[in-house]
Amino acid sequence: MSDGRSAETASPTLDRRSFLKTTGALVAGASLGDMLLARQAPAQIKGTSLRMLIWSHYVPAYDVWFDKFSKEWGDKNGVKLRVDHIPHLELPARYAAEFAAGAGHDLIYYAGQILTGQYFRNLVDLSDVAEGLGKKYGGWLDAAKSAAQVGGAWYGVPDYFISIPVLWRKDLFASVGMGEPKTWDDLRKAAGALKAKGHPTGMQFSHCNDANHNWRALMYCFGVKETDPSGQNVTLDSKEMREALKFAKAMYDEGMTPEVFSWDDASDNRFLASGVASWIHDAISAYHSTRVTNPKVFEQTFVVPEVAGPGGTWNVGEPNVWAIWKFSKNVAAAKEFIQAIGDSQKDAMNASLGYNMPFLKGHYTKPMPYLGNDPKLAKLQDQEKITAFLGFPGPMTPAAQEVVTTFIIPDMFTKVARGAAIEDTMKWGVGEVRRIYAKHKAS
Amino acid sequence: MAVVTAPAPRTQRQREVRRHALIYLGLTPFLVIAVFPIFWMAITAIKQDADLYLMGAVPFWFNQAPTWHNFDFLFHNTSYKDWIVNTMLISFWVSAITILTAVPAGYALARLRLPFAENLGIGIFMTYLVPAIILFIPLARVVSTLDLQDSWWALVVVYPTFTIPFCTWLLMGFFKTVPFEIEEAAMVDGCGQLGALLRVVLPVSWPGIITAIIFSFTLSMQDFLYSLAFVSVSEEKPVPLGVATELIRGDIYFWGSLMAGALLVGVPVAIIYNLFLDKFITGITGAAIK
Amino acid sequence: MSPGGGPPPPGSLSVTLRPRARAVSWWRTPTARRYFFGYTLLAPAVIYVALLVGAPFLFSLYLALSDASVSAPIAHFVGLENFKSALENATFYTALRNSILFTVGAGIMKGLLGTTLAFLLLQPFKGRKIIRALVVIPFTLPIAVSVLGWKWMFDSQFSVINWALNRLHLIGAYGSPDWPVWLGQPGLALLSVMFVNVWRGFPFSAIVLLAGLTSVPPEIIEAAKVDGASFLTRFRKVIVPMIAPILFIGSAFDTVFTLSDLSIVYLLTNGGPDGATEILPTLAYNTGIRGGALGRGAAISLFLFPLLLPAMVLLLRTLRRRQY
Repeated sequence: MSDGRSAETASPTLDRRSFLKTTGALVAGASLGDMLLARQAPAQIKGTSLRMLIWSHYVPAYDVWFDKFSKEWGDKNGVKLRVDHIPHLELPARYAAEFAAGAGHDLIYYAGQILTGQYFRNLVDLSDVAEGLGKKYGGWLDAAKSAAQVGGAWYGVPDYFISIPVLWRKDLFASVGMGEPKTWDDLRKAAGALKAKGHPTGMQFSHCNDANHNWRALMYCFGVKETDPSGQNVTLDSKEMREALKFAKAMYDEGMTPEVFSWDDASDNRFLASGVASWIHDAISAYHSTRVTNPKVFEQTFVVPEVAGPGGTWNVGEPNVWAIWKFSKNVAAAKEFIQAIGDSQKDAMNASLGYNMPFLKGHYTKPMPYLGNDPKLAKLQDQEKITAFLGFPGPMTPAAQEVVTTFIIPDMFTKVARGAAIEDTMKWGVGEVRRIYAKHKAS
Repeated sequence: MAVVTAPAPRTQRQREVRRHALIYLGLTPFLVIAVFPIFWMAITAIKQDADLYLMGAVPFWFNQAPTWHNFDFLFHNTSYKDWIVNTMLISFWVSAITILTAVPAGYALARLRLPFAENLGIGIFMTYLVPAIILFIPLARVVSTLDLQDSWWALVVVYPTFTIPFCTWLLMGFFKTVPFEIEEAAMVDGCGQLGALLRVVLPVSWPGIITAIIFSFTLSMQDFLYSLAFVSVSEEKPVPLGVATELIRGDIYFWGSLMAGALLVGVPVAIIYNLFLDKFITGITGAAIK
Repeated sequence: MSPGGGPPPPGSLSVTLRPRARAVSWWRTPTARRYFFGYTLLAPAVIYVALLVGAPFLFSLYLALSDASVSAPIAHFVGLENFKSALENATFYTALRNSILFTVGAGIMKGLLGTTLAFLLLQPFKGRKIIRALVVIPFTLPIAVSVLGWKWMFDSQFSVINWALNRLHLIGAYGSPDWPVWLGQPGLALLSVMFVNVWRGFPFSAIVLLAGLTSVPPEIIEAAKVDGASFLTRFRKVIVPMIAPILFIGSAFDTVFTLSDLSIVYLLTNGGPDGATEILPTLAYNTGIRGGALGRGAAISLFLFPLLLPAMVLLLRTLRRRQY
């Protein structure tokens, strides 16, 4: 595990004052140029070219900012930079092709589906960059390590994560005498009461990305642990899991309609925008878009980071991680870029309209950019305390990823909602998960 | 109504009208199934976004004023212009490669009674049983060896792998329907095998060749996975990839632009196909084309 | 042809008619010329396919027999382990069943609709050109986008179909129990994805048939007419045999295309809910590519290969042997 900093990332010592001055200037919306001046990249990358592949951010404004940022970085450092965007769900296929080809982009990005554990033998060890950023900004969240470390070394550098809070309609809740929901029971009660008034809720019981996250949030809040902390042993077969399934079935019966079986990632957004939803469990992009599509809804929608269950409060986020292929011909520039973006987190948060949640503890000082200024979103500033990622409490191993991509958890919840017996469902689901983990152990 | 009217013309006309009515009746379900969705897509292409989410609105017409905004967005905020050009070029080259390889191959398989040809033909067909979702991995290596990664030329190289087998067999079927006699007649006239092929068989098989070209075109436009795997640069993308990757951002579908993008590509191909085929159809009833 | 030289002079010793030294070596016979010509014509196609598909094809077979992953495509040989593993997965059986139902059901529908449409389009009538162009559009639209259009048309809240059915008083309003959730109810979901496949595919069948039918020389039809054959007899005895090769080929390819098509299900439901629309390609993709277990994914997608191979060989052999 590399400990020291290599020469190329040794930053000119920033004393506390200039550090605060720079970040302070950022928060006040100073120009990017000032930011970039805080770090000079080594001359050896001048005249080189760098290719980067990242996802298409849910908030279009962020990509606009990012493309501008990277162009300016490229110009400043004499690096010919090319940024390509594709939807995050298609990244794994692209990476499979690039790896098979032994060529492609230099700097790549995992968004949601973390492939650090899958490809780490072919990724550049980034412990120097990661450790550097950690030291600079108050340390990494524990969850960051599960996304980017393998065997104690950093093969990726976490960028930010996306949290998936509860978006609820204050006016509708008030009409049944309820205030801000604090527990899953509150949500269930509200949905039940409001369904009768034509305002049910909905969570996806289908093969989509949100289904994987939403149901895990429920599970973790009920105290379910997918594996032990090592990520090797499946601990899904528990009383808590049965409780979670039972609760989901009850919540479905009382507060949802059968349409949730056909939902995809965008369906709950539409549900909210149509004015029907009493609450949804979705990223704040859903809330942001109602500003245009349904201003009335926008006014009445509020945000709660997560609600509590018998096992605690856990919000399941989607992490985003940088990585560099070993076959890249420009590792130096790639590392520099990661460093640069790591130094620009506050600007990034602003550009993403509060969507991006940092991985570095130092960025959680209040007020946070954007979130700190929006009273509705202010509570999200404490999101880091309750964030978990799939595979919890184990890391995101390839086995955990396969469980995700084959939708075993959503299928379990769907079976139960449709009326299957809990025991049968447990037997099937746990059996499938164990089978997958066994396969990965064997290979 | 005169009592004595020449009965023949009137009954003839009645027959015509009835015939037309029957045909239209028969076609209605097809038109409804095939065309209604297209009509809906066309309307969506000129609708405002907010109009789509109004629960009380009529989906087949406009609640808010129609707008060209979606087309505008398509051409100014995305690389759609590049995508269309890429798609047309890709389809052109792929069709060219396909015809140059499949026409001779189809003819050889249909006519020339070659030993082992049967197995070769079957072998060519068998390649379809290996799905693209696995094939794209070794093909990625091929593409990068040819240094074509992230260029649409990679697709020109890869697409014939699924157009050639099909078109070979299709053309084989067509060539089988060409009567031996005309070929023999040509050879008797001193043409030689190749001459017979070029001068007699090909002209007669135009519908088949046109069909093969159309299929190459449309099959090239269906692919998503190969283009995803081999092209990530926006300006090099073909329409299906560009539209699906850049007009969908997570939860936001730019429905209007999506539909506009699809129609702008699909409708011309349909029209061109129709134009070509018309030239060569004489109709099984021998009637002239209206 | 007489052997050269005429009969031997009487009385001479026979050593045989030394047959005139073979004037023509085998290489110059018409047969050989034909072979040469033929194989030359075949060569481009065969070489192209052999290089770009044949080799990857063998590689895919190897993948199915190894424990490869996306990060380690060259891995250890494990024999039939992956196939065994597929059989232990309950979802696999669902996917297999759905794949077969999907392919057969959609195939029948496409055949019926395509044939009917082809015949209708053969008749001369006003507006035929426009209508022909219109019905072809479902097939010419890029699949990725037309399927997305259907996604919206099937939407649980905003479905155009439901709206229309509701206005026709055939179903209740949104929120009532008879409001169909096209992609959510188990049987309905599979039917819906099949329907989209049929919608896209029947123009394809119609085009193939149309082209085949128009290749039938009108003289033959006229001759049959003159001989007094009724439409049905004409159809059965003359037309069908002539278009049969094209029909078969179209069906065979359509079957294979449908069996390996990922897009429709992937974009509409991705196999959900709970495997109601899971088919072999989606399971293979989610396991092998997105899940990274390349070997097992390959095994799932190649599972039907041992069945399809002999079936196709049989079909194609019959086709080739057809005398007509």
